[in-house]
Amino acid sequence: MVSEKIKHLALQRIPWSAAIILAAVGLLLLTFPFLFTRPFPQHLMIMIFLFAMLGQAWNIVGGYAGQVSLGHAVFFGMGAYTSTVLVSRWGVNPWLGMLVGAVVAVAASIIIGYPCFKLTGPYFVIATIAAGEIVQILFINWEWVGGARGLFVPLLEESLPNFQFHSTKVPYYYIALAMLVLSILVVRWIERSRLGYYLRAIKEDIDAARGLGIDATKYKLIAMAISALLTALGGTFYAQYVLYIDPASVLPLSLSIQVCLIAILGGVATLWGPLIGALILIPMAEFTRVYLGGGGRALHLVVYGALVVLVAVFQPGGLMALVKGLKLPRLAPIGGESKPSPSRIYESTDHETRG
Amino acid sequence: MTPQALLLAQTVVSGLLVGLMFSLIAVGLALIYGVMGLVNFAHGDLLMLSMYAAFWLHKLFSLDPLLSLPLCTLLLFLLGITIYRLVVKRILDAPKISQIFATFGLVVFFRNLAHFLWSPDYRLIREPFLRGRLEVFGIYVSIPQLVASIGAVVASGFIYWFVMKTEIGRALRATAEDKEAAALMGINSDRMYALAWGMGAACVGVAGALLSNFYFVFPEVGAIFGLTALMIVVLGGLGSIPGAFTAGIIVGLVQVLGGYFIAPAFKMVVVFLIYLVIVILRPQGLFGKW
Amino acid sequence: MFDRRTFASLLLALALVAGLTGACKPPAPTPTPAPTPVPEVVIGAIYPLSGALAPTGEVLKGGVELAVEIINGKYPDLNLPLAAEEGLPNLGGAKIKVIFGDHEASPEKGMSEAERLITEEKVVALLGCYNSSVTATASEAAERHKIPFVNASSTSPILHTRGFKYFFRTTPHDRTFAENFFDFLKDLKEKKGIEVKTLAIVYEDTLWGADVGKAEKELAEKYGYEVVADIPYEHETAEVTSEVMKLKAANADAVMMASYISDAILYQRTFKELDFNPPGILAMDAGHIDPSFLGTVGADGNYILSREVWALDLAVKKPMVETVNDMFKERVGKDMDGSSARAFTGMLVLADAINRAGSTDPEAIRKALRETDIPGDMIIMPWEGVKFDPETGQNPLGRGIIVQVQDEKYYTVWPFDLASRDIIWPMPTWAER
Repeated sequence: MVSEKIKHLALQRIPWSAAIILAAVGLLLLTFPFLFTRPFPQHLMIMIFLFAMLGQAWNIVGGYAGQVSLGHAVFFGMGAYTSTVLVSRWGVNPWLGMLVGAVVAVAASIIIGYPCFKLTGPYFVIATIAAGEIVQILFINWEWVGGARGLFVPLLEESLPNFQFHSTKVPYYYIALAMLVLSILVVRWIERSRLGYYLRAIKEDIDAARGLGIDATKYKLIAMAISALLTALGGTFYAQYVLYIDPASVLPLSLSIQVCLIAILGGVATLWGPLIGALILIPMAEFTRVYLGGGGRALHLVVYGALVVLVAVFQPGGLMALVKGLKLPRLAPIGGESKPSPSRIYESTDHETRG
Repeated sequence: MTPQALLLAQTVVSGLLVGLMFSLIAVGLALIYGVMGLVNFAHGDLLMLSMYAAFWLHKLFSLDPLLSLPLCTLLLFLLGITIYRLVVKRILDAPKISQIFATFGLVVFFRNLAHFLWSPDYRLIREPFLRGRLEVFGIYVSIPQLVASIGAVVASGFIYWFVMKTEIGRALRATAEDKEAAALMGINSDRMYALAWGMGAACVGVAGALLSNFYFVFPEVGAIFGLTALMIVVLGGLGSIPGAFTAGIIVGLVQVLGGYFIAPAFKMVVVFLIYLVIVILRPQGLFGKW
Repeated sequence: MFDRRTFASLLLALALVAGLTGACKPPAPTPTPAPTPVPEVVIGAIYPLSGALAPTGEVLKGGVELAVEIINGKYPDLNLPLAAEEGLPNLGGAKIKVIFGDHEASPEKGMSEAERLITEEKVVALLGCYNSSVTATASEAAERHKIPFVNASSTSPILHTRGFKYFFRTTPHDRTFAENFFDFLKDLKEKKGIEVKTLAIVYEDTLWGADVGKAEKELAEKYGYEVVADIPYEHETAEVTSEVMKLKAANADAVMMASYISDAILYQRTFKELDFNPPGILAMDAGHIDPSFLGTVGADGNYILSREVWALDLAVKKPMVETVNDMFKERVGKDMDGSSARAFTGMLVLADAINRAGSTDPEAIRKALRETDIPGDMIIMPWEGVKFDPETGQNPLGRGIIVQVQDEKYYTVWPFDLASRDIIWPMPTWAER
């Protein structure tokens, strides 16, 4: 029953050509670790998967619901810290810790989201920054979770139950891939569901949506919760991968920004956008650092910044907008029409921004 | 005064000076947002560029920052317009997040360009004309900081007067209010936007030249001030110049007093919390729109 | 000009191609070391080469490069390991080649760089990483790949307690250094009659600072000092007014500080602005001995005391210190400091071990490292020598010294028998300078 539903959702509206490409790519991804056996390419792919997933998660609330959050590192960090504290203090299995971490992150998302969703536009953005910074500072000064010194994940024998592998990265690869696929399925489900419809309405024109009887805050919170949950899973994965976490690595503003950028570069409110965004940004960061950065002068970041600006200027709708061309299925705007424009579907109305 | 009261007074005065420093930086940002609804995340890095300008003018031509202030202001004015023409103009109709994206890309670009060109070393202008401190009833006031504070007041006042009382200022406000209607009245919105960017950047140009008297210059200096400036602008009510000015003072005071009375490690928490509280209870910020 | 679509699709294609080809091929062709003769021995070094700590990364790199120059060249006048001949004699004169990696102060990037250097560039050993939090993950990667990791500059005590077999630390760690502080205070009382009873402890909030703060607080309690102010602060902040106000209020006999470079400068300026005049400031190295510190604050930095691991005036007892410093200055444009000196020494220790191993096999290198025994007069550090504890990999023969800034230069003031100048305590107030 469920599998049928999934199959139905997954196959909905995919033309044959896309299906074949998808299958080919899928095959490549599945066999990748055996084609490229050195750790570095595997590490690269793992990071791409992780960030693509984080981008997918962010997209739910930032893209589809139009609430740009620059505080998502909070959820990432909570996932990482919850599972790490549980495993290092009480020997709780990291997989279980992962689930607990997800619950903690969801709770946090509601606590943060509820007051913040009263805000709109840049007010909201900066509120999320503030929330993220507060959490980071608290963790830095909280001795019980290691404070500034961070936490080491205890080294155990490598095994799937222990969620640790020392001699090879391949299991990490597949776990990350699985998580990415999960996030894609979740986003796809949202896209086609009533929730997605409500979110689009909220994003398009929140007052009109409310006028139609949609409880905007409730649905924004739901979106935020789902987003937080997925992000937290990523956090635990990171902790078990790097085996050391500290506030600077799992809670910083720069992480929130990077996740947001990936979704934007790829295309907000699109299913494949974050994946494309990660596919570009992560290797770019790695390679400019390897080829140019060792010279010690941050040239790679200059290139990165310039590319980011160029892409923003030339293709603001992200790369997915390019791929989809201008043939977007335009939703009939709720609450009246204003001048048509191709990127309208992504825009939040200007009413929101002036508070 | 008792030592306790003296320390308290000193803290308040220091907070005020720090706050006015923030105000100066925030006012330019408020102007840009006010006119075109765009949050310039790269504002802090424009400050950094202005500071480098002041430093290099001093190093290469022995020009004291006080004297190079007009030059820095002009340079940043031109830079602001250039950024508008090259980048911002093209993303005016883009989704809001892409606009953030573009200015954020500028952040990464400028910050690391500075890193690349001028190395990450910390630079300080050693013997500026403005240096030393005053002692007033046992309270120390650093002279460069005092001048920066006065500069903040003057610059903000000037911008406010310009926007409210002059013809062009009216045009700016009209464009901000309703671009199409203003166009109908013959106001070229493109020019207005460019002007807003130019003036907003020029503010930061002034700030940079004044700050270089007593603050060190390095590629990341924009990060530190940029985020605070953003919060201040939003706190004051986006687009409101008096709002940004007042909020800057408040944030400075809160930061220093909060740090002193609660714990320095948490001083930013206090600032962020106050931001959250005020913005949630009064979403349009302190002053709403101008 | 391009239209949007073309541009973006080109970008996309480029990125995908870059990503996949990068994944397919190693970044640069590297000569595979043949058994004999060995043309080159490839070492990896991971440092913060960009970001806020880049100035330190630069001098660390400079220290390593200078060591390589000495090893690969002929410097019979220097009483340093491997200086007398060109290259590594036991490997047929093979030369050392160092490939540098940038960790951007991120533990995850440090780990990634370590792995990349090991698996792609085939380095036979690693040096790094300065930031303790990055050394933690990078050395763990090395441990997994069974590659020796020589840590010359990270001082967080936890690093050598992980039971690693491939981890070797030449530098003393912060616990030892904190002990040095208290030895110093004790000496101050017994030999100079200066008594310090209350302490203010200020430290930045990453792994290093927090560890230092913790060690100092524990030892203060152990030795009976009262901590009247405990101030952790946010690193890279815009202002430290409240911190300094609290210090003024606390009025301690001595202030112990742990700051990286930018904070150190900020604090110094704020001290002057707010007229903060403690009797003495004891800094824990890092920011306060970074060349950019005095380079920026100039005479305002006078009278600061810092734990150091090295000072230029060691040349008084060991003339080769000056020779090496001159060489460094010519290369990098600054004097050496504790960071560059330790990186320099770490490279020499590693090369010495590789030479004794007579091979580039990591296992052999590891074994040779364990047997390291370099006497104190063959290094430019004020240590008794370099050896590695068989259990932990820590060098037990290191120690810190205390330097004081006088006339804008660092002078050794403790241990008193190594001192080249007398200590000035209490510091003159700002008004008196």
